[in-house]
Amino acid sequence: MDFPVQVTQASSAHSQAHQTSLSRRDLIRAALLSAAASVLGPSFSLAQAIESGLTPAARGEDGAAYLTDPHWKAAFLNDHQNETLIALSDVIIPATDTSGAKAALVNRYLDLLISVQPSEFQQEFLAALKFIDSESQAQLGKEFLELSLEDQTWLLKPWAYTQQSSHWTERNDPHAQPADLAQQHFHRLKTLIAAAYYGSEIGQKELGWDGEFTHGPYEGCEHSDATHS
Amino acid sequence: MAQDPLQQTYDAIVVGSGATGGWAAKRLSEAGLKVALLEAGRAVTGREFTEHMPSFQLKYRNHSPEVMRTRPIQRQCYACMEYNYEWFVNDLENPYSTPPDRPFTWQRLRILGGRSLVWGRQSYRLSDVDFKAASRDGYDVDWPFSYSDLAPFYDIVENYVGISGAPEKNEMLPDGQFLPPMKMSCGEIRLRDSMKKTFGRTVTIGRTAIVTQPHNGRAPCHYCGPCERGCMTYSYFSSPFTTVKDALKTGNCTLITDAIVSHVDMDVSANKARGVTFVNRTTKETKHVRGKTVVLCAQALESTRILLNSSTQEYPKGLGNSSGLLGHYLMDHVVGGSASATFEDMQASPSANPPHRPNGIYLVRFRNTPAEGKHPHFIRGYGFQGGSMPDFNMDAAGIGADYKKAVKRGVYGVSLGAFGESLANLDNFCEIDPNLKDAWGIPALRISMAHGKNEAALMRNA
Repeated sequence: MDFPVQVTQASSAHSQAHQTSLSRRDLIRAALLSAAASVLGPSFSLAQAIESGLTPAARGEDGAAYLTDPHWKAAFLNDHQNETLIALSDVIIPATDTSGAKAALVNRYLDLLISVQPSEFQQEFLAALKFIDSESQAQLGKEFLELSLEDQTWLLKPWAYTQQSSHWTERNDPHAQPADLAQQHFHRLKTLIAAAYYGSEIGQKELGWDGEFTHGPYEGCEHSDATHS
Repeated sequence: MAQDPLQQTYDAIVVGSGATGGWAAKRLSEAGLKVALLEAGRAVTGREFTEHMPSFQLKYRNHSPEVMRTRPIQRQCYACMEYNYEWFVNDLENPYSTPPDRPFTWQRLRILGGRSLVWGRQSYRLSDVDFKAASRDGYDVDWPFSYSDLAPFYDIVENYVGISGAPEKNEMLPDGQFLPPMKMSCGEIRLRDSMKKTFGRTVTIGRTAIVTQPHNGRAPCHYCGPCERGCMTYSYFSSPFTTVKDALKTGNCTLITDAIVSHVDMDVSANKARGVTFVNRTTKETKHVRGKTVVLCAQALESTRILLNSSTQEYPKGLGNSSGLLGHYLMDHVVGGSASATFEDMQASPSANPPHRPNGIYLVRFRNTPAEGKHPHFIRGYGFQGGSMPDFNMDAAGIGADYKKAVKRGVYGVSLGAFGESLANLDNFCEIDPNLKDAWGIPALRISMAHGKNEAALMRNA
């Protein structure tokens, strides 16, 4: 018999939980698991290894470890491009009372992301970075990296206020590119930097994520009148 | 050691373990028949579910080059992600062809449970407005049954599956056997009330195959959000943990995984099916299973492919194709007509924390209804799915600390997208491509499908 997978009485794979100290998250997880296990009874077990058919995520690999590797090296950007990206991301999303883009390793994630994109995307990204330097040279006589934080902010700010305000806003076409070339380059970089920052663990925490995956049912609108305010 | 499953003759062979195959296996094996359930993919366990893994733990945060390379078609559906792409077929191993001007996206899974693992879960009853549409508008023919014939079966399925929803007493959308509905947001209640007041149209909470209270041994939804990555409490309906589990529990059902069925074997003298031939997914060996009945539940196009590939001297055009119409009148939803806006006067207060309601709202069809009468430009109609929730505003203007604040201030958005009926059309069809085979040597499909004028008019109107 060379192929079938048979069903056995194996206990839930989830119940072989693993932690040494229990956080609130672990407790919720344990409660959910016991709810699931007690009502479900038999679950599928594997008569053959299926590791080859699992995604890295399903195998439980933490892909974020790539970014914090002490031997990290850029996959796509050269040193100058990388340093410029770090400086740029930290002006757009600085550390305030919370961490900013630099601490969130926005440059490293974007380097990885761009390294696997089609070459057209890569060239557009590099052109945008180069544009920042050439504008910096033209307006202030130095490369972006050599500017003071004040001058960096002064250079970028005019490009940051004329774009559309929201992808939800009806009167704006969400796919419309800013008409101005400078704004197009800046918009491309800012969009990527914001996605990389808010997609990071630091960025999620900046948005208030408490690390939990459940807080019970959605309660919806709780207003007693029609004002919803 | 159990008997070799290939040395037996089954009462029924069910091909495919998704929503339909799971039901067939359950009902037949519970009725005492000996059933072989064949699945082209491997088994699945809750251990590989990833619904609680934050996206920053994905190396590429859902931009994996492996997915781009191996699933260029599958990844066009949001549910095919860096988390779970191995559930979807590898497009390089599973080709099909289309005419250059008639692209068609075919979403396919090969895993126990099939698409029931990643489906959208929205579950609506059709009504006699749908079944008897031809009598009203003259296009095509009525379905050969009425809503009242089907209603008892809707009841059986809904009572077992667990559908949460709210009754509306709307003739376009019959009510069903509902578990408690999920709640609406402030924005959705505003939209519902103004739709009713201004147009007399009905907005209801999505009717979804997610249990909101303990149901048939499954725990209620814990509102983590991304059902398509699996559910450790099995709160949404998927066949491996419900119908297939029940079938196996009877002792009458033998599950055979990694079995890619190529064709139905015919007993020519008796003019009956006598089994199926399959190719083992990993070893590529050809095998046979014997059975008195064959039930194809491999998905509409895949089941058609099996029938077309089952041609013999007696059936040169494939099985069940004496009319030559097998594979024709291919239909799919037409989607589009979307709209989005913001409630400028509502405080957003978005939250990164759960609960994340895995469901939206539904605007019931209001065109070509018995009440409204015939529309001048098109027949049939469309409904809208959508939702309204506060969200973070990454598109906020500015840079620096001001930008960080603006992102968190958020926007209260609302969006709707239309789903319309596609008309049956002889020219929308699939057939075997004589020059194309999959990685197991099985002839592949050529699919030729496009929406017509009525579908375009529907979406313009939406």
